[in-house]
Amino acid sequence: MARRLLVVAYVAAAGIALVFLLLPIAAIFARTSPAHLLDQLSNPVVRDAFVISIKTTVIAQVLILVFGTPLAFLLASRRFRGRALAVTLVELPLVLPPAVAGIGLLAAFGRLGLLGSSLNAVGVTLPFTQTAVIVAVAYVASPLYIRQAVAAFEATDPNLAAASRTLGAGPARTFFRVILPLARGGLIAGLALSFARGLGEFGATIMFAGSLQKVTQTLPLAIYAEFAVNFNATLAMSGVLVLISIVLLAGLHLGLSWQRSDSTRSPFFFGPSSSA
Amino acid sequence: MRRLVLALIVAALLLPAGAVARSQLTVYAAASLTDVFPKIDSFDRYSFGGSNQLAAQIQQGAPADVFASANTTLPNQLYAKGLCSKPVVFTRNTLVVVVPQANPAGIRTIYDLTRAGVKLVVAGPGVPVGSYTLQVLKNMNLSAAVQKNIVSQETDVREVLSKVALGEADAGFVYSTDARTVPGQVRTIKVPAWAQPKVQYGVCVVTASTHKADAQTFVKRLIAGAAQKKLIAAGFLPRVKKK
Repeated sequence: MARRLLVVAYVAAAGIALVFLLLPIAAIFARTSPAHLLDQLSNPVVRDAFVISIKTTVIAQVLILVFGTPLAFLLASRRFRGRALAVTLVELPLVLPPAVAGIGLLAAFGRLGLLGSSLNAVGVTLPFTQTAVIVAVAYVASPLYIRQAVAAFEATDPNLAAASRTLGAGPARTFFRVILPLARGGLIAGLALSFARGLGEFGATIMFAGSLQKVTQTLPLAIYAEFAVNFNATLAMSGVLVLISIVLLAGLHLGLSWQRSDSTRSPFFFGPSSSA
Repeated sequence: MRRLVLALIVAALLLPAGAVARSQLTVYAAASLTDVFPKIDSFDRYSFGGSNQLAAQIQQGAPADVFASANTTLPNQLYAKGLCSKPVVFTRNTLVVVVPQANPAGIRTIYDLTRAGVKLVVAGPGVPVGSYTLQVLKNMNLSAAVQKNIVSQETDVREVLSKVALGEADAGFVYSTDARTVPGQVRTIKVPAWAQPKVQYGVCVVTASTHKADAQTFVKRLIAGAAQKKLIAAGFLPRVKKK
């Protein structure tokens, strides 16, 4: 009897957790019909915010890929003094409150900031520009990619890289033909995660880049601004973000399953706990 | 030991009896009231923000007892929907332009705001101070010339103020009372009286409040002498314009 009660409590707790996680998402779609959602997509505020969000996040992702990959590979393949500290510092923006990230960006790149005053002297002012949005997104989202990329590189079999070298391939060829294909699943998973984080970026953007339709107003900023004006538009924008997030989540899991089938070891930070 | 406990209980019973026995209210108030409201009444809890954000939250069922808005439009809208009592005007204000103390863009008059490259920060059009800003620009026939210099539309007046005080923006439109809260950080440029919009603050008791009587008392005290004196000391204008 007591055991039966325990089972009931166990199932009930799991059920409550599941409903709790799904209810807000379901509520967004319950309050907006698909027709209404499409209708709001022609609302200029929604459309402009969508374009700004996609544009800034894609550019930020390209930068994260170009600059983050070498750093991740360096952290994964070299053992040097202070490596642990470097890894921790790279992860810091991940756990930093977004408002703190915003203040940090202002203190660094603002007009009177550490670097900002020199930038200003050569005629570059970042705050309130689209570049500022990209900087904010790249700052908060890159640790997610780098972290996952480090894990992906560490999971590649070093013997394969060594074999490639003994067969006469140079380090660059080995990296692009052997290591990168082996790690691609993890890298894609990392990109999906950082893309999702970048798309949702709010606090650092509103502090560092401000909010102006057609220039710096991304979807999350537009949701905040429209909340007081047009609740239906905020529902539509939220719906759009939920749909994009679902696609990104699918990309993340696809990337992770690729990585698992491609390599022998897989010590992932964000991997699913069960081996499907 | 027992005597000490007894003494503490007696003290605890006596303390609130000395003060006015009333419940703590949750007051939703315009961001421009951030400094002055706790001075008028330090007992209640405040949620400061853009009046339009606060009104939207009340419409979504936020547990506010009192709503003090930087205009009369928003509380009147809530009143029309039966969400709050008929609003009363409790104070007035004026608009000014603030520039950073260092004044990097060299702005001396409002007409300088039309110069190319000036970074002007305003509040969004739904925020009371944002719509007052648009009125000033319209009154001065500067709408088109100034609007091209707007680099950000903030969610409340204090966000505008802090972006100017930080030196990130060249200028911003705020209430004269906001400019006074950051002395030494900003310079103030007056908006001519003929171009001033009618800035009236409306307060109402939220219908869903569970402390209606206390909330009504709060509103009554707000338009009475002591509170009015504190508002005027903070730079607000008397609630009724002197003829």
